[in-house]
Amino acid sequence: MFTWTPKSKILIQGITEPLGNYATGKMKDYGTHIVAGVSVGQGGTTLHDIPVFDLVEQAISEVGEIDTSLIFVAPDLILDAALEAIAAGIQQLIIIPAGVPPLDVMQLLNKTHNQDILILGGGSSGVLIPGKVLLGMMNPQGYKPGNVAILSRTDSYLTDEVATILTQAGIGQSMVVHWGTSDMIGANFADWYEALAQDGETEAIVLLEQSAIGNDAAAQAIPKNYSKPVVAYIAGQEIPVNSIPQDSATLIASQISEPFPHTSLASEKIAVCKKAKIPVAKSPYQIAELIRGALKKQKK
Amino acid sequence: MDLLEYQAKELFREVGIPVLPAQKIADSREIKQLHVSYPIVLKSQVRSGGRAKAGGIRFVENTIDAIAAAQTILNLPISGEYPQLLLAEARYQVQREIFLAIVLDYQLNHPILLGSAQGGIQVEDLLDSMHTVVIDGDFSPFYARRLAIQMGLEGEMIRTISNIVEKMYALFLMRDLDSIEINPLGIDENGNVMALDGKIALNNRALVRHPDLVTQFNGYSPPMPTVPFSPQPEWLNWNHSKGKIGLLSNSTSLSATIWDLLSQQGAKPRNCLVIGSESGGIWFSDAELKTQLEQAFNELLSDTQIKVVLLHLLGVEPFQEVLLEIISRFFAFEDQEAGEDRVERPTAVATRRQGRSQSSRNSTSTLPQKPPALVFRCCEALLSDLPPSLNQDSIYCTANLDEAITQTLIWAK
Repeated sequence: MFTWTPKSKILIQGITEPLGNYATGKMKDYGTHIVAGVSVGQGGTTLHDIPVFDLVEQAISEVGEIDTSLIFVAPDLILDAALEAIAAGIQQLIIIPAGVPPLDVMQLLNKTHNQDILILGGGSSGVLIPGKVLLGMMNPQGYKPGNVAILSRTDSYLTDEVATILTQAGIGQSMVVHWGTSDMIGANFADWYEALAQDGETEAIVLLEQSAIGNDAAAQAIPKNYSKPVVAYIAGQEIPVNSIPQDSATLIASQISEPFPHTSLASEKIAVCKKAKIPVAKSPYQIAELIRGALKKQKK
Repeated sequence: MDLLEYQAKELFREVGIPVLPAQKIADSREIKQLHVSYPIVLKSQVRSGGRAKAGGIRFVENTIDAIAAAQTILNLPISGEYPQLLLAEARYQVQREIFLAIVLDYQLNHPILLGSAQGGIQVEDLLDSMHTVVIDGDFSPFYARRLAIQMGLEGEMIRTISNIVEKMYALFLMRDLDSIEINPLGIDENGNVMALDGKIALNNRALVRHPDLVTQFNGYSPPMPTVPFSPQPEWLNWNHSKGKIGLLSNSTSLSATIWDLLSQQGAKPRNCLVIGSESGGIWFSDAELKTQLEQAFNELLSDTQIKVVLLHLLGVEPFQEVLLEIISRFFAFEDQEAGEDRVERPTAVATRRQGRSQSSRNSTSTLPQKPPALVFRCCEALLSDLPPSLNQDSIYCTANLDEAITQTLIWAK
């Protein structure tokens, strides 16, 4: 469920969307096995030599079972695209656009609750297994195969930066996963820690977070006595905490009536890491030092 | 996108939530053609809270008083926001006021119903008596009755209130709302209810499904978001009033990292502007990138406190030409001897001067202001292709983040 190989069969929903088109080209160059695209009204055409269909089920009847679908359709059409993929039997969904209407996300998560369906995103930049398969928006140049997994709740640019620094320090990556930056995401953090504990390639984990993304600390879900060392970096530790509106009535009243999707600040995330004895890097450069230390300790 | 009170009430009316007879007033003279009978209440149509305490709500008994009050309210900003409209509404004799709302709970990933038997503007009382009911799965009216009973309602009032909540929920689902609130819901001595004030937050990204709402509510500021949604440069809510560095990036996460790296070395950035802020799902066309960058530079350069702009753009290689042209236009600075045509160019410098004073434009004694220094962190590929116009003492381009930080710190001193 949590692994991909160069043979994994990939579908692109929204392949003719500008972003879908661009990403498809990049993924194909990397060797990702994209077997079909879906774009309503474009059935029968090809793009990047990939056959395009009007419906997911048409694609499947033509190219066979699909492992993962990457969804690039407009945010308001994502729920429908995801339901279409699930109805056609696809069990792994990566939702790239952010800004999916929250009621749609809730409906999707309710629907897939307790089912064997993996959802990354919305606002996920996808998954990269360096040297093997690119499923998303990362810029694969800075990555190289290795034994450190990156779990990221930031956007892809920071992950790319961190990976480049790790690579330059001689630390390669086993798997890079973007949980997504959206208000609500499908990823279950605990499942990912579990999967990486089982993963033979991974010896240590870098956890990337950002202040005020999400309403919890992803380190919270790390099991006690976890078998592999984790190093965290939290971007935005120095960002001033938002000033409080002058009018307290506005403040309190708006707390009642406005949804607050992103309440977990850097300080809280750091506190959770400290409690779990997870070292927190002050800068992307320090991640490499800490990981090197952790790997050395592990070898002893 | 928050709706104004009168807009929220129009939607209430559509689903059968009772609202008072009311009329929109854009000019105090319109009071003479009022269809609502006196006594009335005049309410400033602003999004800011606390309008009652700020004097944005007046009770009046006759036309003369109403005109005077309308003039006052129309010229009264509430937390800096001037109303474009008033709502003239009939008065309602309430016996008690309650609070009802439906919001999305991002901890639970479910919508929740909120209710308090202590509605109104006494926020502490309201919060103390707040009750919540989580909607797990599909909505059914029993959730609304559960809320009513938790709120301590009895007898007929249970059904009356649950009925209002059901209608709110229908609206919530039908219109893809982020939240809907009635506060207060007035109850009179006969047990009739009336939505006396309301708030509705639309979900911007779902607006594309509701073109009728866009049409219905267009024409008042702030304008309705465009459909399909097109991103604007976004000021992040990060500020240091004494900072001298303006940050512009296409990644919030990297902006956060850069902010940290600069701060750790004692140089607090002044502010941060992000383009394509919901990165990962938005593709710029040439035209969009151009508009966004121009808008962003104009905003940054109009702040005279900024000494250095740190521009951090990655993954924009497809737009290399557009990008470099815009950067040159805003940051390449010719010496004063360089020629008279300088003033005519639509640079931010020129725009800034024009904005400040029209007359200074023609005055030969006013020298054009030098743009701030620019540190541009870009990808390696772009670096090899920089136009000569960017080869300047005050412009530094690098593919290395560390170098970009160091140079920014030097220039910000």
